[in-house]
Amino acid sequence: TPRRTGDALRAFHAAIRSHPANCKNPAMKEQAQGTMLKVLTSFKSSDIEPAVNSLDRNGVDLLMKYIYKGFEKPTENSSAILLQWHEKALAVGGLGSIVRVLTARKTV
Amino acid sequence: MAYHSFLLEPISCHAWNKDRTQIALCPNNHEVHIYRKDGARWSKVHELKEHNGQVTGIDWAPESNRLVTCGTDRNAYVWTLKGNVWKPTLVILRINRAARCVKWSPKENKFAVGSGSRLISVCYFEQENDWWVCKHIKKPIRSTVLSLDWHPNNVLLAAGSCDFKCRIFSAYIKEVEERPSPTPWGSKMPFGELMFESSSSCGWVHSICFSASGSRVAWVSHDSTLCLADANKKMAVASLCTETLPLLAVTFITENSLVAAGHDCYPMLFTYEESQGTLTFGGKLDIPKQSSQRGLTARERFQNLDKKASSDTANATLDTLHKNSIRHISVLAGGKANCSQFCTTGMDGGMSIWDVKSLESALKDLKIK
Repeated sequence: TPRRTGDALRAFHAAIRSHPANCKNPAMKEQAQGTMLKVLTSFKSSDIEPAVNSLDRNGVDLLMKYIYKGFEKPTENSSAILLQWHEKALAVGGLGSIVRVLTARKTV
Repeated sequence: MAYHSFLLEPISCHAWNKDRTQIALCPNNHEVHIYRKDGARWSKVHELKEHNGQVTGIDWAPESNRLVTCGTDRNAYVWTLKGNVWKPTLVILRINRAARCVKWSPKENKFAVGSGSRLISVCYFEQENDWWVCKHIKKPIRSTVLSLDWHPNNVLLAAGSCDFKCRIFSAYIKEVEERPSPTPWGSKMPFGELMFESSSSCGWVHSICFSASGSRVAWVSHDSTLCLADANKKMAVASLCTETLPLLAVTFITENSLVAAGHDCYPMLFTYEESQGTLTFGGKLDIPKQSSQRGLTARERFQNLDKKASSDTANATLDTLHKNSIRHISVLAGGKANCSQFCTTGMDGGMSIWDVKSLESALKDLKIK
């Protein structure tokens, strides 16, 4: 239903905005990762592309970091949906966004 | 575009003579080979054998016609042409790690060498002892210096390092020059003074370049970013996260336009918008061959599905001129203010000359400011 889609998109933007930048506290980072993973896995496949397109360059880089963090700690079925997010994020961010996941000093 | 395949091995580095009739390059070994243009062909005319390690940097001084080379053997040689023979003079760099890059200063009375010893050796000729001496710039460099470029005032030197930073130092040598006048980077320039230091990007700085006026410096890092510091805007740094693989070489072609290339094997244009302080991607500069679009047979389609889990028709060969990473870019004509031709060399052993006017007419959306 449209209302559910709107909720997922809003939750997505909220999770991106409230990313704890420069945070070294492992508990806080884990919480942010958990929240983001929940949001990403709650999306319908068809809603992923517009969500990615609504981000700016920094948002796409941040999303890519969370996607790889999600790959690191897979849950039941999480990898399948994350692969779809990865495909759409790659189309927008290019290989550069993946390079920056590898070179980042501050992990998500 | 003129592409010439010199070698089957990577070209480690290259430098052109003043009138662009000869190119000196290292064919991935301890030697430097000089080729001369003979009509449409290139003939090898000299082999310079003195280094005991791979030659990592070559620079050819246009006015004095001297070559300087540096290598992993921790040495640098200045080469002078005597008749038809290039004679080397050893320069003691006092480093205990490989030399990585070398550049003559604009007035050709000094040259700087970056090395794995985490310092820059600034070398000048001492008349009374008839040999080259060097002074070191050490602080606050924390890792290998990968790239160097001189400011047009012959004093300021930009250095890109593996410690993720771009820095501008004073390399003022009182023995060979007058006190420099103030520049937008500062007015006090004792030897070794740090005039500018970038905040950390997240990648080794592969290549660094001053604009023709010297008031801008641009660099490319291994985190797939391009950055530019503008001294006329209080050294404000504009940066661009690219969608490409890391870039390895960058040069200004006008005061506002840059060409960079790297692991994606093609040069690309970037534009600096001074009023907004932004860098934008201006387009890919490689004109793709007209490849024939043939359909896949059912067998090929199944094989693709089996091997790559996709049935798309993209082939596995590169449609770029260079077939491997581009490591170096040099300006051939027009200088960094109004470049009309530039040259790229890379890991595919090939050298390509790019004509800016031809690129502008072939790529309709290209805007060089």
